[in-house]
Amino acid sequence: MSHITQQPLTYVGKPARRVDALDKVTGRAKYIADYRVPGMLHARCLRSTVPHARIVRLDVTPALKVPGVHAAITSEDFVDHGLYGFPIKDKYMLAYQKVRYVGEPIAAVVADTPQAAQAGVQAIVCELELLPALFDARRALDPDAPQVGPDRADGQHPNLKGDHMIVCKGDAEAELAACPIVLDREYFTDWQEHAYIEPEGVLAIPTPEGGVVVYAPNQSPFINQGNLAMVLGLPKSLVRVIQPTVGGSFGGKDDIIYESSAQVAKLALLTGRPVRMVFSREESMVASYKRDAMHMRIRLGADRDGTLRACWFRGIIDSGAYASETPFTAWRASIHAMGCYRYQACDVDVHCVYTNNGYAGAFRGFGNPEVCFAVEQTVDELADLLGIDPIDLRLKNCLRLGDETVHGQKLTESVGLIECLTTARRISDWDRKRAEYGRQTSTEKRRGIGVAVMYHGMSLGAEGADSAGATISILPDYSVEITSGLTDYGTGSRTVFTLIAAEELGVRPERIHMQRPDTNTAIDSGPTVASRTTVVGGNAMRLAARNLRQTLDMAAANLLQCDPRQLIRDGEAYIGPDEEAVAWEKVVDHARRLGLILSAHGHWSAPKIAWDHHHGRGTPYMAYVYGAQIAEVEVDLRTGNVQVLHIWAVHDIGKVVFPQGAYGQLYGGIAQGLGYALTEQITYREGYLQQTNFESYLIPTSVDVPEITGVFVESAYSHGPYGAKNIAEPALVPTAPAIANAIAHATGRRVRELPINLERVLLGRDLQPPASTQPARAAFHIPVRSTPQTAPVART
Amino acid sequence: MRIEFILNGEAVAVEAPPDITLLDLLRDYLNLTGTKEGCAVGECGACAVIKDGRLVNSCMVLAPQAEGCEIVTIEGVHAADGGPNDLQQHFIEYGAVQCGICIPGMIMAGEALLRQNPHPTRAEIRLALAGNLCRCTGYQQIVDAIEATAKGRRAQP
Amino acid sequence: MPLFDYARASTIDEAIALLNDPRWVSRPLAGGTDLLVQVRHTKPNFQRLVDVSRIPAMRSVAREEGEIRIGAAVTYTELVESPLLCEHAACLVEAARLVGGPAIANTGTLGGNVGNGAACADGVPPLVCLDALAHVANSEGMRAVPVADLLLGPHQTALQPGDLITHFTFPLLPAGTRSVFLKIGRRNAQAIARLNVAVAGRLSADGRIEFVRVVPGSALPRLRRFTEVEDMLLGERPSTALFEAAGAAASRVMVAATGRRWSTDYKAIALQALVSRALRRVFRMQESNGTHAH
Repeated sequence: MSHITQQPLTYVGKPARRVDALDKVTGRAKYIADYRVPGMLHARCLRSTVPHARIVRLDVTPALKVPGVHAAITSEDFVDHGLYGFPIKDKYMLAYQKVRYVGEPIAAVVADTPQAAQAGVQAIVCELELLPALFDARRALDPDAPQVGPDRADGQHPNLKGDHMIVCKGDAEAELAACPIVLDREYFTDWQEHAYIEPEGVLAIPTPEGGVVVYAPNQSPFINQGNLAMVLGLPKSLVRVIQPTVGGSFGGKDDIIYESSAQVAKLALLTGRPVRMVFSREESMVASYKRDAMHMRIRLGADRDGTLRACWFRGIIDSGAYASETPFTAWRASIHAMGCYRYQACDVDVHCVYTNNGYAGAFRGFGNPEVCFAVEQTVDELADLLGIDPIDLRLKNCLRLGDETVHGQKLTESVGLIECLTTARRISDWDRKRAEYGRQTSTEKRRGIGVAVMYHGMSLGAEGADSAGATISILPDYSVEITSGLTDYGTGSRTVFTLIAAEELGVRPERIHMQRPDTNTAIDSGPTVASRTTVVGGNAMRLAARNLRQTLDMAAANLLQCDPRQLIRDGEAYIGPDEEAVAWEKVVDHARRLGLILSAHGHWSAPKIAWDHHHGRGTPYMAYVYGAQIAEVEVDLRTGNVQVLHIWAVHDIGKVVFPQGAYGQLYGGIAQGLGYALTEQITYREGYLQQTNFESYLIPTSVDVPEITGVFVESAYSHGPYGAKNIAEPALVPTAPAIANAIAHATGRRVRELPINLERVLLGRDLQPPASTQPARAAFHIPVRSTPQTAPVART
Repeated sequence: MRIEFILNGEAVAVEAPPDITLLDLLRDYLNLTGTKEGCAVGECGACAVIKDGRLVNSCMVLAPQAEGCEIVTIEGVHAADGGPNDLQQHFIEYGAVQCGICIPGMIMAGEALLRQNPHPTRAEIRLALAGNLCRCTGYQQIVDAIEATAKGRRAQP
Repeated sequence: MPLFDYARASTIDEAIALLNDPRWVSRPLAGGTDLLVQVRHTKPNFQRLVDVSRIPAMRSVAREEGEIRIGAAVTYTELVESPLLCEHAACLVEAARLVGGPAIANTGTLGGNVGNGAACADGVPPLVCLDALAHVANSEGMRAVPVADLLLGPHQTALQPGDLITHFTFPLLPAGTRSVFLKIGRRNAQAIARLNVAVAGRLSADGRIEFVRVVPGSALPRLRRFTEVEDMLLGERPSTALFEAAGAAASRVMVAATGRRWSTDYKAIALQALVSRALRRVFRMQESNGTHAH
C-alpha cells in the first residue's frame, strides 16, 4: 500500500514478461511470409546484374505474355519516377535511367506464383550499357573518378554525399605540434549485414476506395506512408501502413522495405488483388543496404603522463550507390569520433561518398561502432606506449559530471562512465589478469584482456525534430488499449510501453493491450531509430497515462467523496478516507456515469538542442549513455584463431524500465559486435557481393558467443521516463575495440582492420582470391523464395 | 505424389510434388507456418523440426523423405492443456525471446536436446543450439531458459 | 512441372536397379545437405533422386573380422554415437563432432560427404587416414576403391552414373594406435574447413614411431596421405622439434604441389601448426609451456 503522490515503482524496473512472447514461443506470431490472403498474387523484381550502367532499353510487355503474369511495372509507373530518400532524394523505387549497384531493382512483375513472376522477370527486355564504375571510396573525390552520384549545383564533387561533418575545438594542429607523444594511425571498418533472420517481405491489399493497405515490417510506418502517398500520387488518407510482427531489423528495414512497399502497392492497385513479395536470403543479402565501410585516420596527442590533449580525425564513409540515411551516419560518427574524453583541441571531418559497392544505410550504432573501433584502439596503444594501464589512462581522461565535451556541451547530469569503468575493472578481475597475461611466453596460444569505453548521444539529436505521441483508452471490457507511433521490431518496446502505462495508471500489465503500429490508429512520432523509443516514446506514453489517470482519480475522489490527494491505491483498487477498497472497474463505471471520456493522449518533445554545422560546435544531443566493456580472449598464435572467453559489459543506461529486455538488448548487441569484430566479412569484388547466404556470411553461433556478465549503472536522467536513457545501439559499440585490444594484449600486435579474421591475426593482412581464380559474378544468383500454394489436405 | 506421415501425433496424407522440401510441405501444403524459412540452405535452423526423435532442418529434407516418419513441429509442442509447455514458459520467463523468428527452431532444438540429455551443462546446451542462428539475443537467455527447463524436468517425479 | 522425380529404395539391389534404369538420369540421395543446396542454385543434371537413406545395410556400423564396416548412409550423429568408432576411429568421430549444428549432423551422411567430392569435406581425411575402402555398387557388381582414389579433385570423383557408395571398410588399426582430427574454421560451428588434418600413429615398445599416417585436408587439390612426412617420422622418437619439422615438411609438400596461391601465405603457416599439434596429440606430448587449458 502506498501513498498516491510518492508511490515507489510497482512495474517499472521489475521482472516482467514480454507481451508478445507467448505468440512467438508457440509459433503463432505471424510474419509477412506467414500471411495467406485469399487471391494473393506474388511479385518479384528484375535486379541489376552489373554495378553501373545506363538503362538503354526497358520493355516489360513480353513479361505480360508469360502465363500467370498479371502486371509489370517500371519507374514510369510512379510519380516523378518514384524518386525518394531522406535526407537526400537520390533513389528511385525502381531504377530510372541508370543502375548503380548489383541487385538494384529495375522492374517488378506480379503473377499467380513466385515462379511465374520469375518467368515474367526473365522475359523482360532490358539492355544495359556499362558505365565506368567506382569501387574505391578513397578515390571517389578524385577529379577523374567515374561519376556515381547525381549532379550537384553547389560546385562540390558529385560523388560527395551531403556535406563534410565537422567538429572543431581550438587549434588541433598547434596542439598536436606541442604534444610530446602523437600517434598517427589508420583504421578500416568493413561493411556489415544486418542479417535479421527474417528476410524482407511486404504485403499490399487494395481497398475499395482506391487506396491500399500495406503490411510492412518497416521500422517507421509513417515514413513508409509518406513515401507511398508521394510516389503513388495518393492522399495519405488512402494509404495505411501496418507493421506486422517483425523478425529483426537493427536499422535494416527502412529504405529496402519502403522500396518493396511501393512496388507491391503499385502492383496491388493495378491488379486489384493482394500482392506479396518475399525475399529469399540471397535476395536479401544482395539487394538490401548494409552498415557502411569506413576508412579512418586518427592523430592523437598526449602528454607523457597520459593526459590527452588533441584529436585530429578524418573519416571517409563508403556508403555505396545511394545515400539512404548515411549523411546522418557521418554526422553521428563525427560527434563521437574522438571518444568520450576531454581534449584541449580537436579537428574532426567525416564525409560519405558514392561508389558502386551496393549501398549502405542505418545499422545499430550508426557511425559510432566504426569510430569507436579507431579511437579506442589508438587510446589503448597510447597507454601501452606510455606504460600506463589502459583503464587508468581512460579514467584519467574520460568525461565526468560537470565536464564540457569537445563539442562545447556542459554535462550537467547522468554521467556514469567512471562507475562503468571501475565496475568492469572489478568484476573482470582486470588487474590480476592484465599482469598475469603480460607474462605469457607460449608460442602456441595466449590470453589477453582488453577494454573499450563508449558514449552515445541519445535519440536523434540535431538530426531533426524529436517528439512522439501516444494514446491510451479504456475499452468497454475494462481492458486498456495503448498505441505509439514508435514500433517494436523485436526490441521489446511494446513491453516497455505496457509497463509505463501500467505504472502510471496503477493497473496490472495484463490488462493492457498494445495495438500493432498502424498509421490509422497511432500518432506519427518520427522514425523508430537511434534507440529513442524508451525515452521519447516512453515519455509520451507516460504523459498519456497520467492524463487518463487524472480523469480516473477525479472520478474515484467523487465516488469516495474525498479530495483526490486523499486517495490511496492498493493494487488496482482505490481507497478513500474510510479505508474501504473500491475496485478499479467501479471507478471506471463511475467515471463513465460522470460522462468523462476515458481516453487520453500524450505528446513529448525532447529538450531543445542546437548544433552549428558550419563551426562544428554546439549541443549535439540532449544527453549521453555511457558504457565500458572488457573482453577476455585466447589467441592461437599459429592459426590466428580467436576465442572470446568472456565479456563483462557495464553500461550506464539510466533507470532500467524492462530489465529482461534491457539485458537481452545488451547480450544481443554484444553478439553482433563480436561478429563485427571477428567473422562478419562483406566483400564487394568489382561491385559483386561475395557473401550471399549464411554459409559464407558468418554471424556468431551459440558456441562463438561467450557467457556475458552484464551490469547496468542506473545514473538517472531527469528528462527520461523514471530517469531512463537507452541501450539498443550502445551495447554493440565498444565490443569490437574491446576484443581488438584484448587480441593486441595477447599477441603484442594490433589489427587495425575489421573483421579481425584468421589471416589478419596471423599475417597482419587479409587475403582474397584474385579475380582470375574466382570470377566476381560467381556468387551472384538469387533463388526464388519457396512455392506458396495451397493443396487439399487429406487427413487419414 | 502422395506423402503420408505422422505430424504432431496425427496421421496425415498430402498430395505434393516430389521436388519440394519438408519446409515447403509444412508451410505451403499443411499451412503450418510456425516453422520459418531463414536461409533455405541448412545454416540458420529457423526451420528446425524433430524427425523421428532427431532435430533436422526441414529445408534440408526432401518432402518425400518424410514418408512414414514422425514429425514434430512447433505447433506440436505444448502442454497437455494446449497452453505453453515448461520450455516455452521458461523462454518467456527468462526473456529468451526478442524478434522471435528463430524461436520456433530454438524450442525444437531445446526439446530435441532434453529428450536425449536430461542433464545438459551450459556448454552442452550451447552445442545443441550451434545450428540455430539468433541475431537478437546473444543466446544467453535462451541457454538460461533451457537450463531452467532441464532442472525443472529433473525435479519432477 | 517438378524439377525432378523421387524414388525410394529399400535395398541396395533396388537402389542399383533404380539408379541404372535407362529411362531416367538418376542420382542417389542420402542426407541431402549438399544436394539440396546445389539444386537451389543450378538446374539439376539429373531427372530423379533415388533415396538410399533407408537401406538398412547402408545404415549400420559393424565390426567384421579385422575390419570396421560403416554404411554410407550413416549420419555424423550416428558416427559420434558409435562406441565402436569412438574406440577404433577417433579421428573420424572427432571430424563428425566438429560439424557443429545437430540438425546438420543428424542429416548429413558419410557417403554423401565423400561422394560430393568437396575439397574441404571433413569426413574424407579421416577415411584416408584409416586407409578406408569405399565399396561401390553398380549394375555390374561391386568394386572396392581406396577413398583417396575416389576423389580426383574439387567436386570431381571417380564415381560413374549408376554408381552407389554402399559402405566403407577399414582395417582395425594396430593395437595402441591413436588417431586425431584437427580443423581450422572461421567459426566454431557450421564452418567450412579452412584446413583440417587427420593423423594416426603408434609408438613401438622402445618409444619410436613405428606407425604414422598424416592426411591434411583442404591443402591439395587431390587429397592424399603425406607419405613424405610419414617417412621422416618413422623410426624416430617423438619430440617437439621432430613434429615441428614434420609440420614444416607438410607445408613444403603442399606448396610444392600447389605452387604459391593466394591463400598460401596463410595455409603454409597454419598447416605446420596443425600437423605438428596433431602429432603431439597422437603421441601424447604436452603442448608447449605457458598454454592455458581450454
